[in-house]
Amino acid sequence: MRIDSISFFDHLATLMNSDPNTYELLGDIDLDMAIVMRRPDEDDFRVQLEFSGIECKTVAEIDEGAETATECWIDGSLEDWQGMFDDIAANGQATGEWTLNTITIMGDKIQLKAGDPMGWDKFHRFNQTLQDFVDAAAPALNKEASNVGS
Amino acid sequence: MPIAEEALAQFPNLPDTSPAGASLDWGWLAGHRSEWGIQPKPGPRGLTMMDIAVGTYGDVPEHPRHRAMAARGADIAEDTPDMGYILNSKTDVWSSNVSELYEEAVARQWSATRDIPWNQLEELPSDLEHAMCQLCTTLSEIEMIASDLPAKWMWRMNHEFIEAKMFLCTQIMDEARHSEVFRKRALANGGGLLKSRGATENLLRTIIEAKTYTQATALLHLLGEGFILDLFRQGEAIAPTEVEKRIFRMTMQDEARHVAYGTMHIRHAVDNDPDVADEIHEALDHGEGALVALGSAPDMSTAIAVLLAGGAENVEEIGFPLQQRLARNQFTSYLARCERAGVSRLDRTTLPLEAMGIDLEQIRKGASFS
Repeated sequence: MRIDSISFFDHLATLMNSDPNTYELLGDIDLDMAIVMRRPDEDDFRVQLEFSGIECKTVAEIDEGAETATECWIDGSLEDWQGMFDDIAANGQATGEWTLNTITIMGDKIQLKAGDPMGWDKFHRFNQTLQDFVDAAAPALNKEASNVGS
Repeated sequence: MPIAEEALAQFPNLPDTSPAGASLDWGWLAGHRSEWGIQPKPGPRGLTMMDIAVGTYGDVPEHPRHRAMAARGADIAEDTPDMGYILNSKTDVWSSNVSELYEEAVARQWSATRDIPWNQLEELPSDLEHAMCQLCTTLSEIEMIASDLPAKWMWRMNHEFIEAKMFLCTQIMDEARHSEVFRKRALANGGGLLKSRGATENLLRTIIEAKTYTQATALLHLLGEGFILDLFRQGEAIAPTEVEKRIFRMTMQDEARHVAYGTMHIRHAVDNDPDVADEIHEALDHGEGALVALGSAPDMSTAIAVLLAGGAENVEEIGFPLQQRLARNQFTSYLARCERAGVSRLDRTTLPLEAMGIDLEQIRKGASFS
């Protein structure tokens, strides 16, 4: 499963929406954000994610520049995003430098951006939910790796 | 007291005295001056404060007529006593996002006992364990200021601003939990509580002794909690195990809510009374100095440097340079929030912005970048 694809994020949204027990415990999230993955050929992948309550309501590919209309966006090279998801696959969750907060606070791989400091702070208000959202990719990534290996 | 005529007409069999002979007043049965039967509808997540802010029940007066603890929207008797509130203007305490933040806070409460994977703590090298314990000692100390400060002012806030008071109650609970979780971490892994010194207490004293609530909230929410929010971000980044990562992520979420209230409260206050900006600047002039003293306080700053370096051995090569870089992030975030709050500090602060490598143009544009 390619991480720079709508189907990958649709899968993450489906996982979140079918796991109310986990996300109810973490609490409601209201956030309109985007993820930008910069490919080597510059045909970059951009996806908008709209979270409401304990669900991811929208997963939509967006055009260049449209991320600036969201409350905040996370922007990095596809290679670094792949590094993050490889770590999630290997450990069942992001560890060390690969958690969303750590990788964005260092800022030399993936950056957190916002047009408004209030949007920037929203990334922190809902950080554990966002972390669980991406960590949930681990089983699917491992299953795929296992299928490739067999 | 006689039975209200309207009630008597509708319920003619009501007694006018109790079995003990006391006179009864059934006036409340007669209905209500305003919107009886308004019946707000719950949304998908239940019945929120935003859902019930309908009709006049959602009107928050700029200058309430009463200084009573009566529920906003109720019929308030003229002889209701004055509770002695001194914060009687909406601009004193309000923020445009306060109801949403209250709901968010209630929905996102967590337990330091249950929601931290304490059984995953690992034995750390002595220098790292000492550094983590020192950081937790300081954090356990300073977090309660954000409980004490709103508690100092809340009973002086007019009760018509109930949503703001409710939000501050959640903040008080949040900060109690932060003191709890850092105290628990200091003790739970074979270490303990370490040093407390004057520089830390000086900042806390500056905040608690602020002359007005607006000055207090500027110092606490905009300056202090903004700084701590970034410190928690750093804490998650330098956490040696998943236990500390989880602690810092959960506390970060709470802290960001408090900062969001403070930023938008200051904005509301300044938009409605531009003269308030001078009062806020005066507080921040003093507060920034105290904050720098806290940031460079020997115990916490060296503990963070050791954690950033992954141990005492690399503190000069890795720890201090990384710490300077993250300090730049901290002050950039703070200055960006001040812009958003309508109290630009760029031409007023005495912080050495250029020496810290802060990009002033980025801040002026209102954008935030990690």
